[in-house]
Amino acid sequence: MEQEKTSKINSYLTFKLGDEEFAAHVGKVLNILEMTKITTVPKAPDYLKGVINLRGAVLPVIDARIKFGMPEAEYTTNTCIIVLDIDLDGDSVHVGAIVDSVQAVLEIDNNQIMPLPTLGSRYKSEFIIGMAKIDEKFIIILNMDAVFSIDEITNLKVNAEMNADNVNVEKID
Amino acid sequence: MDSFKKKFIEEASELIDKLEVTLLELEKNPDDPAQIQQVFRVMHTLKGNSSMFGFDLIDKFTHNLETVYDLIRSNQLQLTPQVLNVTLSSVDHLKAMLDEGNYEDPDFLTTHNGLIAKINQLINPNKGEQDKPQTNSVEFKSDSVVHTYYVMFEPQSNIFRNGTNPFYLLDELSMLGQTKVFAHFNRVPLFDKINPEQCYVYWEVIVASEQGVGAINDVFIFVETDSKLEIQKVADINLLSDPKFVDEVTQLANVQKDIGYVTIQRVANQAIARHNKQKSEVVKRERIGFKDKSAASIRVSSDKLDGLMNLVSELVTTQARLSLFAEENSVPGLGPIVENVQKLSRQLRDIAFSIVLIPIENLFGRFQRLVRDLSMELKKEVEFITEGADTELDKTIIENLSDPLMHIIRNSLDHGIEEASVRLSQGKSTKGKIVLKAYYSGASVIIQISDDGAGIDPEIIREKAILKGIIPPERKLSKKEILDLIFLPGFSTAKKVTDVSGRGVGMDVVKKKISEIRGEVEVDSEVGLGTTITIKLPLTLSIIDGLLVSINKAAYVIPLAAIDKIYAVEKEKIYSSYNNLVTLDGKQIPFFSLRKEFHLDASDEELEQVVVVNFEDNSVGMVVDFVIGEYQAVLKPLGKHYKTHDIFSGATILGDGTVALVMDTNKIIKLFAKIQTINVK
Repeated sequence: MEQEKTSKINSYLTFKLGDEEFAAHVGKVLNILEMTKITTVPKAPDYLKGVINLRGAVLPVIDARIKFGMPEAEYTTNTCIIVLDIDLDGDSVHVGAIVDSVQAVLEIDNNQIMPLPTLGSRYKSEFIIGMAKIDEKFIIILNMDAVFSIDEITNLKVNAEMNADNVNVEKID
Repeated sequence: MDSFKKKFIEEASELIDKLEVTLLELEKNPDDPAQIQQVFRVMHTLKGNSSMFGFDLIDKFTHNLETVYDLIRSNQLQLTPQVLNVTLSSVDHLKAMLDEGNYEDPDFLTTHNGLIAKINQLINPNKGEQDKPQTNSVEFKSDSVVHTYYVMFEPQSNIFRNGTNPFYLLDELSMLGQTKVFAHFNRVPLFDKINPEQCYVYWEVIVASEQGVGAINDVFIFVETDSKLEIQKVADINLLSDPKFVDEVTQLANVQKDIGYVTIQRVANQAIARHNKQKSEVVKRERIGFKDKSAASIRVSSDKLDGLMNLVSELVTTQARLSLFAEENSVPGLGPIVENVQKLSRQLRDIAFSIVLIPIENLFGRFQRLVRDLSMELKKEVEFITEGADTELDKTIIENLSDPLMHIIRNSLDHGIEEASVRLSQGKSTKGKIVLKAYYSGASVIIQISDDGAGIDPEIIREKAILKGIIPPERKLSKKEILDLIFLPGFSTAKKVTDVSGRGVGMDVVKKKISEIRGEVEVDSEVGLGTTITIKLPLTLSIIDGLLVSINKAAYVIPLAAIDKIYAVEKEKIYSSYNNLVTLDGKQIPFFSLRKEFHLDASDEELEQVVVVNFEDNSVGMVVDFVIGEYQAVLKPLGKHYKTHDIFSGATILGDGTVALVMDTNKIIKLFAKIQTINVK
């Protein structure tokens, strides 16, 4: 019941990574935390920043920048941890995602969400639900389950280097 | 109602398990009265419960079985292997009855009726006596209020004149209870001298009645004055229910003219003595039964236990915060209170933890049966020895252990233990031996299955692995590495697939199952001498005693159980060491610096702390910056994202709210040892 209710809501939390703005459905977001001290787990992959104490539970924290294949950045006062409820192989798993800044909660109607252009897209379609144009800005709506459930670094972009160097290759594809 | 039924099934399964264990014990010592009593008691409980919850079929079935053991315990039936076999198959059948509940199935009915017939045959090799034991036991029950009297009635010879028929008197007497009448005809004269109007006969009657002497007297009230009447109380129990007493008295009556009170009393005393002995045994049994019950304890749903464990975890965390707070703020009087809270929460933790642990005994019992049946099927003589059945493990671990262990034991029986003739030719005893052993080792429980069978030939494994393309032919492997190959998927060493093993569940599944419960499995084998499989399991402590250390200002917890000793060593000694060996207490101990392994810079401290931990049979030093102190760590999972990252078994939240990682020393040492050997190469 509740699941149904939340998924019918059309509210999205938008956040920034570098210059780009992303959105996650609010049903997936449990909490937004200020940046706190993270206990590093030695010998873990880079994007797994470590763990934090979330009200008595241990929460793994992922640096979204690294996870998305972006260069790491210094944490600022705007840096936040979004606590997400991810569906991982049928289990509900909580995970924290470090983002540059949290922007707003927007109402985005389903008909406002456009599918990704199949050609020339810079992003892999399995991680992205669609795009929405709000106030002349494009916001990428992420499929949080897909993005954060995969162990490896999920390079959101089809192929960052190739894309940047040679757009033509993409088009030919 | 359904929940009651569920509870009944749960309880009944437990009873049946217990029954099975006892029966197997009984097989070894068929004369042990305590065990027979135990079997009887379990059957009785089972019967009672099943009839209470409307499982009529089970009720009737166990009733028959119970009768068998009732006969055995009263020495009316010999406990033969045949009886045991029938009982064991009945136990299986009972399990099926509990599991399926489909009583209409023709197969089921055939087994059911077949077993009932077999049981009835046990009870009654020559039919017709069936009712006897039952009536006996009924009489026995009413014993307590019944007294036995001796009545001697010698009517006056002219008793007929006033219209009294002595037979009516005797009839009346028998209305009072059970009677045994002895009529004496020795005064009856020769036929030609008989005066039909006179009574020559006198009677001795043994009456077992709930009524007192008065009631007996009342019977004779109209003839009392003219007749000789003697009424004596013989015993406070019903002697007539004792067949031996009745026999003896009857014999006496046949031999002697009359028995007389004195003789009766003598015989009765013997019977009373017998009875008291029996009674005290019953009392004793009842007492044992009672004790058993109190030890068998209460049932609590596991949800409640989980809740309790969570609360205790929270308490321990909060207590750590309190300790820290007391340290930072020196409030007078707070110290002792905090210490007390710490002590209490530690005790509470230990108790709460021990609640979820159950002895491995039940599991071992199941294997007794397996080995027994299998060895019969395979026609191999096998002695199955279990040790350390009282070793306690988390319930979920025990549940998950059942299948892998069963597989290993099957393997041992089927492939390990040789045929008797082969064994004999190799100078071994014809009887094979399988030992299942459980014991504590540090923070783990070790379960070992060893047999004295053929062992695993590493050459055969090697050849097979090459044949299957698992390893290249030129590859050199140590014996251990070769033996470890059997844990690879698709690797079955069985030459032929038998009914017993080789059904596709390989050792790879065993390994997988064991690692699912955070355990490790190892194999060691000597050709001709046997195979030993060692399973190492965590105690699954959700709370562990640990040592809090710090490395580069981050806190880590090392399980206390793994720690041997802590040394402070000068920095130079460590960093100048060439081959990572440090001499401590005159012993060369390999070590590694956690700072280095965690890719951190060397510390500025002059003294380094070396925590020496046990690793397999060796000691290994781990260099840390500081040792902070003992700490009760509530183990919290790191989450699925860290599932491949197993050098930390979890994390714990410290008093100040920061997170400390809990090390799995075995995994850490293995990981770093591997890296080092690679570097050397």
